[in-house]
Amino acid sequence: MKSRVVADRLRDLESITDAALAYLPIETLLDELLTRVIEILDVDTAAILLLEDDETTLVARAAKGLEEEVERGVRIPVGRGFAGRIAATRHPVRILDLADADVVNPILREKGLHSLLGVPLLVEGAVVGVLHVGTLRERAFDDEDEDLLQRAGDRAALAIFSRMTEHERGLADALQRSLLPRLPELPAVALAGRYLPARSARLGGDWFDAFSLPDGRLALAIGDVVGRGFHAAAIMGQMRSGLRAYALDGMSPAMVLERLSNLLRQIEPGRTATLLYLVLDAHGGVLTVASAGHPPPLVAPAESEPSYLELAGSVPLGAARYPHYDNVDVEFEPGSAIVLYTDGLVERRGEPLETGLDRLAATVAEGYEQLEHLGDALVDVLLPDGPGTDDAALLMARALPLADPLIACFPAEIESIPVMRRLLARWLVEAGATREDVDDLSLASAEAAANAVEHAYGLEPGVVELRARSEKSGTVTLSIRDFGNWRSPRGMHRGRGLLLMEGLTDVVEVVRTDEGTTIELSRQLGAEAA
Amino acid sequence: MNEQPQSEVSYRDSVGIVSLRGEVDIVQAHELRERLVSAIRNEDLGLVVDLTGATYIDSVGVSLLFELAERLTERQLRLAVVVPEGGLVTRVLRIVNLKSVAPVHESVNNAVDSIHD
Repeated sequence: MKSRVVADRLRDLESITDAALAYLPIETLLDELLTRVIEILDVDTAAILLLEDDETTLVARAAKGLEEEVERGVRIPVGRGFAGRIAATRHPVRILDLADADVVNPILREKGLHSLLGVPLLVEGAVVGVLHVGTLRERAFDDEDEDLLQRAGDRAALAIFSRMTEHERGLADALQRSLLPRLPELPAVALAGRYLPARSARLGGDWFDAFSLPDGRLALAIGDVVGRGFHAAAIMGQMRSGLRAYALDGMSPAMVLERLSNLLRQIEPGRTATLLYLVLDAHGGVLTVASAGHPPPLVAPAESEPSYLELAGSVPLGAARYPHYDNVDVEFEPGSAIVLYTDGLVERRGEPLETGLDRLAATVAEGYEQLEHLGDALVDVLLPDGPGTDDAALLMARALPLADPLIACFPAEIESIPVMRRLLARWLVEAGATREDVDDLSLASAEAAANAVEHAYGLEPGVVELRARSEKSGTVTLSIRDFGNWRSPRGMHRGRGLLLMEGLTDVVEVVRTDEGTTIELSRQLGAEAA
Repeated sequence: MNEQPQSEVSYRDSVGIVSLRGEVDIVQAHELRERLVSAIRNEDLGLVVDLTGATYIDSVGVSLLFELAERLTERQLRLAVVVPEGGLVTRVLRIVNLKSVAPVHESVNNAVDSIHD
């Protein structure tokens, strides 16, 4: 008899989370839910506490018969007291007599509650809050009460969550998108990245970044801030800014990690984050890696099987007071690729981590000429059912073999000059240049590019194009071209620029037309300097 | 691996010695100018710029040396530059004829001595 009534009442409860109330503000929805719970279970009080983004605190969001709980903004640490224990253990808790119980919230006693029953609010296995009911007289809550409250809790969790995520999703999308970098377009390195939000659509702590350093090398980073929600996302934003600041100051990867660890402890003691930071000198064929407790990157050398980089164990950022990190140099020839990822991509519940790692390596081994295709393949293979309960990030880079003739464009900015120089140096080595050829021609073409940057466009943005070709005779010809209106070089150092171009090459030609200016430099490789 | 400019300043017998490492170029020139100028003490006899550890110098870097020579001369101070024989930096300084404004030596000791002469 009782179960018939229960079933009816459960249906009653279900009705309120359905379409009719779908447009109510969340406070009204929770109030309605609690009213029904009180009726169904015949109790005196009911309350919902939700887990904060920092995942360490429960905050009262709605209450019936215990309105003060919300009014006073009661905050319960996870793991402590009645509600805190439910959240920590993810199991229901029954209290027959409050007098004998460990309770944090004084309101429960002030109200004269005698017996309590509470259940965790779970979404996809993760605790998002606690629902509890209480009676003024003594009541031994039984299994059926618990089952009913848990079912009500499940409905409530879903309703709350879809409502919250609807609201959060818009903000989350905007925030996450603003935190994801625009990958630089480089002539010598192809890049591709993926970010997959968790299925619950809450903000995650995974991130990646890629940017050019002042000396022309490429900085790559991938990280995972422990925790979820806006708070974790905000920390992630600060980590990203900190990393760029330290990296642009010219610090080595290990040093950057040490500074970031201190920064994180300063921003929020107790918060930890893993991070992998690499500097790629594509032209020099070297990759410098430092890791703070992050899963190792997969390196696919041009001529052999991909393998995970063996890095010594390291602590996450924020985990130790004086952390020490190591720089590891790895050969990285043209045609090689590197894959950086977060654990959300390789971990599956009920499966050893190695299985995911093997799957990743096998997918990369099938081919990585086109990084966008590789990115799609990795997501398909590793997350066939879409993202899991964790978010996932992926960053891939490949050092491109250089063509002859080489054509590359750069923004007409001073910062482009070292980038161009390094690209050209690598091309020259492939074309059979000696060290002296490389040094002299790189400098001569940097002077030509500096002319274009300083004189072609004024304050307007513009482009500098580099073309390089080699002849069978061993002569190389470099042309550096802009598409602006030259004004006459001013100041002495430009005069010296031309002097250097002439002194370091065999022939210098300057051609000015209405469409722009081209400086052509040529030199016989392997000859004694002019 | 680190190619950012690094500089070290020391003083010996009333001569400032600034050692520049890495790339002395258009990207770094502004910062390097500050460091060089701030190394000059009025009571000194002159300044030695040690380019032994420099891997690269462009026309902006060269102009910095010319400018420095001019500023020091105005204050009746002397400039000497140290570059080991061979390598790009030596070739560049020869092409622009740095010797016309400052003596170029192969060791810091010789450069310091030349300022005392």
